[in-house]
This record gives sequence, C-alpha cells and structure tokens, in this order.
Amino acid sequence: MTPNAHEEARNLIALGDSVSQAEYAGIRAHLDVCADCRQYAETAQQVARSMRAIPIAADRTLVRTTQMRVRARAEQLRQRRERLLLVTFSCALVAISSALSTAVVWKGFEWLGRWTQLPSPAWQAGFVLFWIAPTLAASLLFLAHGTYLSSNGRTRQ
Amino acid sequence: MNAAAHYFVMGMESEATQIARGLRRRDPDLLDRLIEQYQHRLLRYLVYLCGSRELAEDLFQETWIRVLERGHQYDGKHDFSTWLYAVARNLTFDYLRKKRPVSLDSAMEDEDHAPMEPADSRPLASETVAHHEQAERINAAMTGIPAEYRETIVLRFHEGLALEEIATVTNTKLGTVKSRLYRGMNMLMSRLKGARG
Repeated sequence: MTPNAHEEARNLIALGDSVSQAEYAGIRAHLDVCADCRQYAETAQQVARSMRAIPIAADRTLVRTTQMRVRARAEQLRQRRERLLLVTFSCALVAISSALSTAVVWKGFEWLGRWTQLPSPAWQAGFVLFWIAPTLAASLLFLAHGTYLSSNGRTRQ
Repeated sequence: MNAAAHYFVMGMESEATQIARGLRRRDPDLLDRLIEQYQHRLLRYLVYLCGSRELAEDLFQETWIRVLERGHQYDGKHDFSTWLYAVARNLTFDYLRKKRPVSLDSAMEDEDHAPMEPADSRPLASETVAHHEQAERINAAMTGIPAEYRETIVLRFHEGLALEEIATVTNTKLGTVKSRLYRGMNMLMSRLKGARG
C-alpha cells in the first residue's frame, strides 16, 4: 500500500458525503484493510457529528434588535429615495420650464430692442444679463453670508 | 430527474426568486422572516469566523443591514444562504482588516483577543455530558487552526453546504476548498488527539 493511497483515502474522508459512488466504494475497500485510516474516518465522523450538535443560538433580544434596526434603515432608505425622486422631478420641471421661457423671453427682448431701436448686440447683452442676474445675486448673497460667518468665527450648522 | 426531486428543485428556485424580488423591493416583512429563519446559522458562522460572540452579534446586525442595502444584487440563481454567508464573510473580513491592518489569522491569534466562546451555556435536555465535553473540545481545537480552514470546516460540517457552495461563498476554486477541508480536518484531528493525549 503506497502512502498516496492513505492520503487519497483521507482526502476523500475529509469531504464527508460529497464523494461519488465510485469514490465511496474505493474508501470502503481501503478502510477494510487499513486500521489507521479507519480510525481517521471514525474520528472525522465523530467530529462532524459533534460539530452539528454544538449549540450556538441567537437570543431573542438580538433578533428583535436586528429586525428593528433593519426596519428603521429601510424607512430611512425609503425616505431618501422619495427625496431623490422629488429632486429629480423638480430638476426636470425646471429644465423644461426654463427651455420654454427662454424662447419667450428672447422674443420679448427682440421686440423691445426693435421698439426702442437698439442695436442687436445691446438687447442681446441685456437678455444675457437678465438671465444670469438671479444667479449672480444669489451667489453674491451666499458669499456675503459666508464671509460674515467666517469673520465672526461661526460656522453654519 | 424524478418527480419529487423536480418538485424540490422548482420549489427552491421559486423561493429564491421570491426572496430576490422581495429584497429588490426592500420588503421589511420578508427581511423579518429571513432574520428569524437564518438567525442561528448566521450567528454560528460569524462566531466561528471572527472568534468572538460579542463581535459576531455586531456583525450579525450589520450583515442584515447590508442585505437590506444590497439586496438588489442577489439574483435568485443561488440558494439565499450562500449569498448571505458571502455577505457576512466580506463584512467580517472588511471589519477585521480595518480594525487591525494584519492578516485575519494573526488578528485572531492575538493574546488579548477574546477567545472563541464556548457553546451557549443553556443546557439542552437532549444533550449528554459526553456530547457537551466533546463539543467544548472541538471548540477549543477550532480556535487553533487557521481561519480559512476553520471557515471551510464550519461551512461544510456545521452548515452542511456543498463544496460548490463553499467555493461560491469563499470566492475560491473547488480544488482549494477540497484541500482546505483536508488540511483543516487533519489539523483539527491532530489538535484533538493532542488535547486528549
């Protein structure tokens, strides 16, 4: 009997019941003639059986706490998803309305330019200024607010 | 495939599909049911994997939070428990890597690290004293073998996973699983023999 035969048998024994019929027959034949491997197989079986009998159980408190935490997190995620949907919807609405109103305002400025007999670059510059004025005003306000807070040693909450 | 086996496979498939659908919806009732169903198996796996019951309980909760957050990644093609163990495993390894920037094994072999707790002390009527002693011996012997071997042994003999499922959970090849099982069992048995002798 070669050392390989023992190793092969023990290798298969370690796999438990994950062996084929042919492999099983091979192990049985080997165990009939090898006392050492028979001892090994018995111990392996005993270990596997005992391991299944080791009682490590989760207690009720752990399960309840976990369920509550999962529910709270699920609610958080649901609210976040709703907020995200709202923001996406608002952005889409703003994009559509600004696309539509740009055309209308452009026409208005064109008409005003003709009526006041201003050259085209002048009313076009007026249109651009009108369009970016709210953004500029908001930026200046935020900048002033930030400068005020930092100069007074406070931070925004 | 005979009728019973076909029915069993179809039943398993539909259950996995139902779970996958519920997880995509983040159905809290489904998660409650899954937590109840897998509580003992998952905790056992985590206790063996990280070596401490206290840490295992924290990771148990985090695992279910991650299941909720990443539930859409479960495709329902494999058994849910296989995916659950993989989630728990990744979480544990991430945690231990962050906690201690060393290997999992050396982290577990720290002297100040809490030793693996013995089995739940509540006595079970069906348990014999001999059984209990044997379980304690195995627990003690398990602490001494490297984490990857320990994990493979636990998944095979404690949780009853097939070799292919273990390969999926541990993200390794089937051959690696087989050799880990063989080496792990050898180590475990030599430690048990040493403890007895």
